[in-house]
Amino acid sequence: MDGVHDMGGMHGFGPVVAPDGDAVYHGRWEPRVFAIQMLVGVEGLGAGPGGRPTREEMDPAHYLAASYYERWLYSAEQRLLRKGTIAPGDVEAMMERLAAGEPAPAHRDAAMAERGLAALRTEHPMKPAPPETRFAVGERVRAKRMHPPGHTRCPRYVRGATGTVEAVRGADRLPDRAVYGENVEPEPVYSVVFASAALWGPSEEPSWTVRLDMWESYLEPA
Amino acid sequence: MTEAHDHHHPRPASEVELRARALEALLAERGLVSADAIDAVVELYENDVGPQNGAKVVARAWVDDGYRERLLRDANPAIAELGFGGTEGDNMVVVANTPAVHNMIVCTLCSCYPWPVLGLPPTWYKSPPYRARAVSEPRAVLREFGLELAEDVEIRVWDSSAEVRYLVLPMRPTGTDGWSEERLAGIVTRDSMIGTAVPVVSDRVLA
Repeated sequence: MDGVHDMGGMHGFGPVVAPDGDAVYHGRWEPRVFAIQMLVGVEGLGAGPGGRPTREEMDPAHYLAASYYERWLYSAEQRLLRKGTIAPGDVEAMMERLAAGEPAPAHRDAAMAERGLAALRTEHPMKPAPPETRFAVGERVRAKRMHPPGHTRCPRYVRGATGTVEAVRGADRLPDRAVYGENVEPEPVYSVVFASAALWGPSEEPSWTVRLDMWESYLEPA
Repeated sequence: MTEAHDHHHPRPASEVELRARALEALLAERGLVSADAIDAVVELYENDVGPQNGAKVVARAWVDDGYRERLLRDANPAIAELGFGGTEGDNMVVVANTPAVHNMIVCTLCSCYPWPVLGLPPTWYKSPPYRARAVSEPRAVLREFGLELAEDVEIRVWDSSAEVRYLVLPMRPTGTDGWSEERLAGIVTRDSMIGTAVPVVSDRVLA
């Protein structure tokens, strides 16, 4: 999806180093939203594509104006709505009750805390790559020209550029289809190196390189 | 290195903060998400999982060539040797700085970050300017952090928008001969493992 989340190379956002920029959070609600979004997944309370594709569906103006964890709040709510765990208006109704002075309901469940921590300790590595892959290390490849309307991990700035396969990382299901529940087989994922000039043309900076991990479906022979 | 902390000055709750509280209250009322589960996740990343983990990995690699070799060849088992691992560290790759190569990490599409070794990312890492500019003008970005690299150093930017998460292994600074692993870990900053800084031996550390 060619949305505002795909930021590589965009101009106009200003300096990186800014006041308050070093902090991880700016309010106690932020880590709690982070935890809620994780637990919505662990407890199976949400539905639809995961948090990341859901955040990409935000209204572009809202996405840019929102803080990082406001986007996580959005994705948690959307996933809860899609599952039917909550209904439209439920959050607003609770906001009104709390604003009227009602105490916030409390719920404790130590077993859920254990499940949450266990999920965060669990790693889900990619599958090993098959011994023979379509592209070999050292081979020149081009990122396909494409304009996918849904989730993708192939950023705009790399499309059409030619690079070199540097490593085969493993095999993984193509997120462009897998996040929508399609039963796709794992395919090789390559580390591809691009020269700065191939991505950006001439620059005032001495040349550099950019590396991305790319599913085979994103690549064609150069 | 700055950790996650609130500002201490009181301020009225924002609309989004009220909304977040309401969602938590709603899920609690229905018995779906418990306060202790939320607390456990929050405390995990505030107390146990943070850049202090990555610093131990780097310090070990600085003092133990065999560990360094294992770490660069297959990072997950090497990181697990020190007891670290988990979500967003599923496929770790460690990239080493050398006199000729400087690595830096970004996620242009999201804000992907190696949680088990660095914790949760700082605001600037998640911000549009960093996500936009790290790939298209890395030296200008590094200059903002006060890092000027020689013209002939190759900057390698790793856009971790897929499933691999990266950690930079910085070069061990001179003036640290004979230091213990623990003391070395003390100079390995979060930013030096993202690649927007390099470890320095300062008077503060020597004191």
